[in-house]
Amino acid sequence: MQEGLSYEGRGDCRVIIRANIKEALKSLMSAKQRTLLALIGIVIGIGSVIAMVSVGHIVQVESLRQFKEMGTDLISIEKDDGSDSSSPGIGGARATKSSIKLADVLGMTAGCSAITVVAPSVNVSGQASYGGKNIPNSRLMGVTESFRDINKLRISQGRFISDLDAQSQFCVIGSNVATAIRKQGCGNIIGEKLKVGEKVYTIVGVTENVPESGMRNFSPNDALCVHISTALRSSKGSGISNIIARVSAGTTNNIAREQVMAYFKSKNSTLSLKVSSPEEIIAQMEKQMRMITLLMGAVGSISLIVGGVGVMNVMLVSVSERRREIGIRRALGAKRGDISGQFLIESVILSMMGGTLGILLGVGASYLVSLFAHWNFLFSFKAILLGVGVSNVVGIFSGYYPARQASMLDPIVALKSD
Amino acid sequence: MLKLQEVKKTYRIGPTEVDILKGVNLHVRKGELISIMGQSGCGKSTLMNIIGLLDRPTSGSYKLNGSEIVYADDDALSEIRNRSIGFIFQQYFLLSRLTAVENVELPMVYRRGDHGGIREQSMELLRRVGMDGQASHRPSELSGGQQQRIAIARALIGKPSLILADEPTGALDTTVGREIMELFKALNADEGITLVIITHDPVIANQCKRVSLMRDGVIAE
Repeated sequence: MQEGLSYEGRGDCRVIIRANIKEALKSLMSAKQRTLLALIGIVIGIGSVIAMVSVGHIVQVESLRQFKEMGTDLISIEKDDGSDSSSPGIGGARATKSSIKLADVLGMTAGCSAITVVAPSVNVSGQASYGGKNIPNSRLMGVTESFRDINKLRISQGRFISDLDAQSQFCVIGSNVATAIRKQGCGNIIGEKLKVGEKVYTIVGVTENVPESGMRNFSPNDALCVHISTALRSSKGSGISNIIARVSAGTTNNIAREQVMAYFKSKNSTLSLKVSSPEEIIAQMEKQMRMITLLMGAVGSISLIVGGVGVMNVMLVSVSERRREIGIRRALGAKRGDISGQFLIESVILSMMGGTLGILLGVGASYLVSLFAHWNFLFSFKAILLGVGVSNVVGIFSGYYPARQASMLDPIVALKSD
Repeated sequence: MLKLQEVKKTYRIGPTEVDILKGVNLHVRKGELISIMGQSGCGKSTLMNIIGLLDRPTSGSYKLNGSEIVYADDDALSEIRNRSIGFIFQQYFLLSRLTAVENVELPMVYRRGDHGGIREQSMELLRRVGMDGQASHRPSELSGGQQQRIAIARALIGKPSLILADEPTGALDTTVGREIMELFKALNADEGITLVIITHDPVIANQCKRVSLMRDGVIAE
């Protein structure tokens, strides 16, 4: 009889696997509370890994889109406010003493061969009001005609500020400001008057809504644009805060930066400037993203480890509770491999349940993040695959030891236990 | 079909060695209905475990169906248990999460190869033991006698050459115990199934064709 034993059927394991899956589901369902508690760690772990990958992907696509929209041939020039200076007192004094002169800015296109267009802007403090009501988030800015092209703004009503508007009290408002005014029951916005501080401005145009962009440090939708000369006169001391310049085709941003530095040094040697290009901003954003990724990766790994320990704990309890069952199965002819397979499948199913919930959590979290950050939500298939893969690995790793323990049990000892 | 020669089993409990089996010789022929009777502690459970390949002897020889048992390969032992031995235990040992018919089918899950018509065979066996009406019941919904009948059907499903029953009526009242014994006798008489029944109860033992008395680690007669 013994030599007649057939081993040819070893490959036919589908029956056992099917039975094992059914058994595993039954066993997990019979201890619902324990199963759920064990899942929490896995859910959080997989969830944060998915959220991390998914948000990273969304941010990458989003920042690329923003820069494509603005153009990568722009550099931003700002007065260095002295925050880098070793002596803040002196730096502060210098910052107030010297400011960028409008005439120098307008002369840049002539003075620097690498610059074709310049768009200086001035920020003026004070909130705008219409009909006695404040318009939240609104911001008064002094700009030139070139500001419109460089920021790719489109006019929905009226016209933009022209260089002929110097010293005038005309303003062009962003879409959010227009919406705020319309809410107060104003039909035709053009010709209406806004108040900022003591000054009254007449609206001559409205710009279309534009998506946010990494290159701008303001939102055009909330802006009230007046001519830069008007703003400089009314702002009392706060000079030109930011210049965006277009670099001519065929030159690099670095050459343009050097020319700009040299140009301003020749005009005013005490002035210190900060010139940044899209590459730098992208690099900075990527650095920030790496930090976030690292942080979320750490959170994810720690909760995956905790989750794995949770799964292992549940499996160990399951094994010790089912010692007699293991003994019965062994007596009926289950091999060690059949027993360990049964528990391994149970552990993988447990982690896969956690993985599925984690994927839902992670995708949900990244959807919320992109909703609040006004990014386009992207469904990342890669993240799903990662979630399924990771939960499988956790299941196998944390199920291996309990499954091995179960399979190594002596059948007699197992049968005698209760 | 089953031959034990000078089988010894020694357990080590702390520093002392205890001889449970001191050279058992037993020969069971095909179609026999034999009981091994003895007081508790005489080593009959250990003997049953050795015959059932759940335990291995310290020394001696065990031939089943003409082949010497080799203890080195655990998977091969599982395979022999699965194909050649049907177990019936005192506490029935049904799996509580499975229905009656699923319990009967369980040994076939672990058998590689032929898998046709297992549900039909299981139902047929449940009919044979008079439990076909309770096929979808779980063990907790059944009485002890009913559970033991299902365990008997489970022992029969693999068409084993030997059925090993360890105190099969030990947890049942006398009437139900008698019914179970009648079933054993019928299986032996009608189908020629070889049965080894281990018991401490002389009433049960005397219903068998042959009684082996075990005393102090050896078979006395």
